[in-house]
Amino acid sequence: MTDTLVRPATAASASAAEPRPRRKPSLRLGSHVFLLLLLLAFLAPVAWAILSSFKQPNDIIRDPLGFDVSTFTLQNFLTMFQDVPIGNGFLNTGIVLVLKGGITLFFAPLAAFAFAKYEFLGKNLIFGAVLITLMLPTVVLIIPLLLEMKALGWVNTYQALILPGAIDAFAIFWMRQVISAVPDELLDAARVDGASEFGIYWRVILPVIRPGLAGLAVLTIMNIYNDFVWPVVIASSDRMSTLQVVLSTLAQNITGNRIGADYATVTGELLAASSVALIPLLVLFIVLQRHFINGILAGSVKG
Amino acid sequence: MTTSALRSAASQHVRRPSAARLRRRSAPYLFVLPFVAIFLAFSVYPLVFTARLSFTNWHGSGAAEWVGWDNYAYLLANEAFWGSLGNSAILWLLIVPVQVVLSVLVAVLLNSAKLRLRGLYRVAFIVPFVTPLVAVAQIWVVLFDQQYGAINAILGIVGLPDIGWLTTSTWSKPTLALLFLWKTTGFIVIILLSGLQSIDQSMYEAAELDGASKLRQLWSITVPLLRRTIMFAVVLQTLAVFQMFAEPFVVTQGGPYNSTTTAGYYLYNHITRGDLGTGAANSFLLVILVMALSLSFVRLLRAKD
Amino acid sequence: MNRIMSRRGVRLTAAGAVAVSALALAACGPDIGTGETTSDRLQAPTAAQPEGEITIWDRSGDLYEVFDAVIDDFNEKYPKITVHHEAVDINSKLQNTLITGTDVPDGVFLDDALVSGYADHLWDLSDVLSPYIDDIAPQKIDATTVDGGIYGVPYDLNPGLLFYNATVLEAAGIDATTVETYDDLLAAARAYQVAVPSAKPIHLEQSAFLGQLQLEMYASQLGTSIGGADGELRLDSPEYEQILTFLDTVQSEGLGTRAEYLSPTDIAELENGNQVFYPWAIWFDFAPQQLLPDTSGDWRAMELPAWTDGGVRSGAMGGSSFVLPKDGENSELAWLFYEFLMYDDSGYSAVWGTNDVYPTGLNTSIPAYLPAADPAKALFQPVDALGGQDLWKVATDAGSQIPGGTPIPSWWTGAVDYLGSDLQRMLDGELSPDEVISSASDGIQTNLIDRQ
Repeated sequence: MTDTLVRPATAASASAAEPRPRRKPSLRLGSHVFLLLLLLAFLAPVAWAILSSFKQPNDIIRDPLGFDVSTFTLQNFLTMFQDVPIGNGFLNTGIVLVLKGGITLFFAPLAAFAFAKYEFLGKNLIFGAVLITLMLPTVVLIIPLLLEMKALGWVNTYQALILPGAIDAFAIFWMRQVISAVPDELLDAARVDGASEFGIYWRVILPVIRPGLAGLAVLTIMNIYNDFVWPVVIASSDRMSTLQVVLSTLAQNITGNRIGADYATVTGELLAASSVALIPLLVLFIVLQRHFINGILAGSVKG
Repeated sequence: MTTSALRSAASQHVRRPSAARLRRRSAPYLFVLPFVAIFLAFSVYPLVFTARLSFTNWHGSGAAEWVGWDNYAYLLANEAFWGSLGNSAILWLLIVPVQVVLSVLVAVLLNSAKLRLRGLYRVAFIVPFVTPLVAVAQIWVVLFDQQYGAINAILGIVGLPDIGWLTTSTWSKPTLALLFLWKTTGFIVIILLSGLQSIDQSMYEAAELDGASKLRQLWSITVPLLRRTIMFAVVLQTLAVFQMFAEPFVVTQGGPYNSTTTAGYYLYNHITRGDLGTGAANSFLLVILVMALSLSFVRLLRAKD
Repeated sequence: MNRIMSRRGVRLTAAGAVAVSALALAACGPDIGTGETTSDRLQAPTAAQPEGEITIWDRSGDLYEVFDAVIDDFNEKYPKITVHHEAVDINSKLQNTLITGTDVPDGVFLDDALVSGYADHLWDLSDVLSPYIDDIAPQKIDATTVDGGIYGVPYDLNPGLLFYNATVLEAAGIDATTVETYDDLLAAARAYQVAVPSAKPIHLEQSAFLGQLQLEMYASQLGTSIGGADGELRLDSPEYEQILTFLDTVQSEGLGTRAEYLSPTDIAELENGNQVFYPWAIWFDFAPQQLLPDTSGDWRAMELPAWTDGGVRSGAMGGSSFVLPKDGENSELAWLFYEFLMYDDSGYSAVWGTNDVYPTGLNTSIPAYLPAADPAKALFQPVDALGGQDLWKVATDAGSQIPGGTPIPSWWTGAVDYLGSDLQRMLDGELSPDEVISSASDGIQTNLIDRQ
């Protein structure tokens, strides 16, 4: 029987995910103001971007802080949907999310299970490899990876977008924490019942860490969604561009030099595209935030 | 059977059928195999190739001439190389301490807020994290314009002079740091929140009864118990800051006067100029540096245990 | 508990890494190219009706729309060539595409400043351009010439012009059309400042890249550029001395508005009459047309002042060309497309003349092909925002003056970190013109030229 009294210095059981009833002291006014100011600081720039996407393109450049509602227009969105392959962007991001996310969600906890619950020769060496992956800056590997993709014939393919870094090292790290907290008795009991090792993973571990997995899922989704450096390098055509690549293609008319006559239009399109790109992730997070928090709870680094 | 009896039964190797034992011995290797395969194929192989490239002067076409340590010598003697490392270090100083303090405060406050509002805050704090970087770059350029940006307008209201946020080398780093803080703090807050929620409330109640103030509770109970989570966040963000590339790439293009040329961005410059041999040497040096940093942090973390 | 990494783990990892690297260094990695250094000259197709598919890359935006609209006209002449027109972030993508040699387009729109850097990957167009070469602006030919080969089909000529706010200048009693030299310009600026004390009349560019581009415009007037035909540095010269001294004078006398091109600050100062002289490429005209509603119609364009009495009154600033990568499948067909676009009347009229995208024509550049840039036969219409001025005539007259002898070295963009930066420092008041020349020359020589 496990302890029900939660001592601060020990690991909490993975199943203790229900909120404990406790008295919540009310916040002082100062704290409220502080939080509200932060809230404003975090939301205001994004609100600016979304509102600006409804302005006339020239107004966005000329008068960035003026919002004359009477001149609001859907023009930027229309030209954006016409000119910008945002559908492709969503499609490709979606495909990469599902496949790469799926690979991480399946294989990362599996590897983590090995690190958490087994002793084997080379364990530290291989875990060292996990850490190295975490520490490797992406930008460092661009050219060699690119040439490797060429040698494999994978330039401009989905494999190239998905496979490098498909099993996120951070995911392994985190899941290891979570799985460590699963009581060994559960595994031993399953073994006595004749379960295979993989069977233990599938039938014992996964259900127990489901909240942690949900958290991992949300985090993985956000990271893949935001992935910028490698997709920009490897996806050289519209066909294969993810959302971030599509947006950065738009932006290159603006950043750095403003050469070219049409950067007002492009700025408008960029803001419209960004607003549209922002929404699915936001909705996802709003809907899943309970899972996310519970998931992190289940796998938190204990203090 | 009691727990200990179960355990001793399971650990008696002789009683186990050998097939199950073999499965058990080989299982971990099979489980980590996918990761190892990907690691070897897409991390090790390119890294080794980078090493090889770093000893040549390849420019993207034609043959690659062997130049020995020339690229490394050039980099280590180059002011701009050390400057880029310095830039990353300064950015670290501007970002990580502030972020930790801010995040802890916010997490603690959010933890005690009423439930309904807490949800709204959580969503709000994550919004910067999911906003596309190129949009954020545009926003920053407009908001921080020296004469007509909102930030200087606000400063003007309280009587402070205009600051050249993105146009002077003094202020470009803080402005970039601010962007990074804005974008990632929400995520760190959530990580800390989770750590907080596993702290037993009874400790606070006991301290309350003893007459300890909120601040004292924060310092003596919360922070020590959160220490692991905090260190975890510090390591995470340290890695992120030293690898930082996308932000200077999109917002400042490394300027003004290379003040925001981070280690990662400086490396990228070699690549865009076609100087791939030097870029490879730079990559290697950067990898070694980042690894050394991470390992020392890890050691620090274990030393404090 | 081995939570993170034990010491033994570190040692093992390190040992493993060394072993693997030693092995792999000895072995072969992905192929990094053969020693092919012969320049290949593209030949035009000989068939009467060539057939095939080509992929053309352009930057996204209005220009993409303009070129797209010309494809139909092209197909009337060559119905069997299918054009796949793609909007691409060329500056990010091109290098990687050329290095991997996969999915390489047949034709790419490229800034002139970047062409020489890619010359190894591109077709030498000397043969296909030979019928036209005498009729192309010499500056454009030089811009894309490397070791005697020409690597781009010149697209647009961007003559530098002096844009000025005629209305407020007249109100201050100054006639800008009397300005003939840069000394005259300084005098006019001083006079304007007396009349309008808050004014800082002349634009000083704050972006390092554009600042260098503008510097090269001034240099182009004097027939020089930072790199000579043999790749030697030409910064240390009386020409650059004169230009930098002029800019330094504008700065030190408080006659300059320092802002990034068309940033909110720049625009505001243009609108409120504080900034009235903008020596810039023709593509500045976008501002009065779209971004300066208050002063739209007040602006005019004229030739640049000269550096010496009776000297040349225009220089090139920026400009692009079309390049044809050697790894493209049907580059010779892409050549036909660009030949049509640039040298066929229906081609260049469709680009610069009135069309759906630009109802009054594309007026931010002029053709590099001189027969198309005939002052008497305007392709784009007079510009309302410039008070109905015949910008075509002004620009083409100016463009015809631009001298040759100004190649663009492959390290031009890299030089921005040195020359562009140092120029900005000078405009900050930190460096003198001589210091800019010596510091930038040093930086460029050590970090760029010596490492080619």
